[in-house]
Amino acid sequence: MGALEQLLEEAPRFFTYWNIIFLADAAKNTLMVSFFGCLIGYIVGFVIATFRVIRVNPIPPLRALFILYTETVRRIPFLVLLLCVFFAFQLSGAETSLFVIATTAVALRMSALAAENIRAGYESINPLQWEAALAMNMTPLSTLVRVILPQAWRVILPPSTIHTVSMIKETSLISQIGFLELTFAARMLNQRGFSALICFGTILVLYFVISWSFARVGRYAEKRLVHEARKPNTQTEAQTVLKQQGGVL
Amino acid sequence: MQLQYGQIVQYIPDLLAGAVIALEIAVIAFVLGALMGLFGAAVLTYGNKPSRILVRMYVSFFTNTPQLVQIFFLFFALPEFGILLSPYQAVLLGMTINASAYLTEIQRAGFQSIQKAEVEAAETLGFSRVQLVWHVIAPHIVRALYPALSNHYILMTLGTSMAAIFGVEEVTGRALNANAISFRSFEIFSITALIYIGLTIIASILLYAVGRWLFRVKVKAF
Repeated sequence: MGALEQLLEEAPRFFTYWNIIFLADAAKNTLMVSFFGCLIGYIVGFVIATFRVIRVNPIPPLRALFILYTETVRRIPFLVLLLCVFFAFQLSGAETSLFVIATTAVALRMSALAAENIRAGYESINPLQWEAALAMNMTPLSTLVRVILPQAWRVILPPSTIHTVSMIKETSLISQIGFLELTFAARMLNQRGFSALICFGTILVLYFVISWSFARVGRYAEKRLVHEARKPNTQTEAQTVLKQQGGVL
Repeated sequence: MQLQYGQIVQYIPDLLAGAVIALEIAVIAFVLGALMGLFGAAVLTYGNKPSRILVRMYVSFFTNTPQLVQIFFLFFALPEFGILLSPYQAVLLGMTINASAYLTEIQRAGFQSIQKAEVEAAETLGFSRVQLVWHVIAPHIVRALYPALSNHYILMTLGTSMAAIFGVEEVTGRALNANAISFRSFEIFSITALIYIGLTIIASILLYAVGRWLFRVKVKAF
């Protein structure tokens, strides 16, 4: 097989100390952008989802604004969102690093996805619990924190790991604005004369390791936290998959 | 900072025409991916162990790597072995392969949602094989899968924007061209974003209506 011979012939030249450092740095950047983007995205998404709850925010036009935000932002492809953010920063005239631009774009997309996900968690709680808590003179915010969230997070957690993993994969699009992450690193190495097979093959493996292990940790946490904390779980695995896949858009 | 949408109005019809290509890619990749996924799901449910492991590896590899890098690989690595793909073909192939992995996973869940007791009940009532599939299994699978499948179709519509990176002139590709001519970058890409929002909202409404009237599934349109 030609492919294997070519790989073996090229591997010693490709996996040199400096190339590995270069790829490790790129992987670090991918992880950093994903981490900060998702963190900020989740915080913003939490606020948005909370302000969509009628008991917290009883003003309809204000609620409509938050609904409009989630409905529009999650319907924009990440590449287009990224370019919009990139050129918006350029318009504003501020000197911004590519890291900030990339993180902002990830945070924007994540906030919309997270808001939708957290809303689904809130809606899984019987509304009578709101009424009961409010009748006991709890404030809406303390009801949310003490009554709703302790139950809702079991619904929120499983899709969030899926969203985070898919966000890590979407960061590959950030290579388009010239930020040095894994995909950009592979393109640079490719342009330095290494074959596309070894460049893109290597980062495919790296991406696989990152997102597979993350999904594994997520699934483990889900098993430990969600299924054990619950009373007899009647949901089959198949239903869980369908629910998670159906919960993105 | 001033926004001048007046200067880019002339490009909007061109962008909208690109939407046809985006839809074309999304629909073809989705249908082919769904067929491959159906096969994969059938293997996962009824196949023997080695073939199950093979499909499982396929699904796990393609769902855990970015679609963009998969297409890069097809587009840049395959020519080294004498397989030359046009940008359009590479994108279509990459999206189909990626979709087939996700749709295998989704459809497998559909296969598993059939309750054995229901099939047995139908057999007891004297249903023939065809009747069993038509009246019991098919409605069950369709109803269970419809929301997840329509959701994935919409994600794929958004995914077509990647084609622009390879020079396919769909919506984002045309936006990049228009940007290169006019330099009204933010204006153009915000309009592009609006086009995608419109496209997916139309798709959501259509899928909702089809699901409602054809399969009596209640899907969340929004």
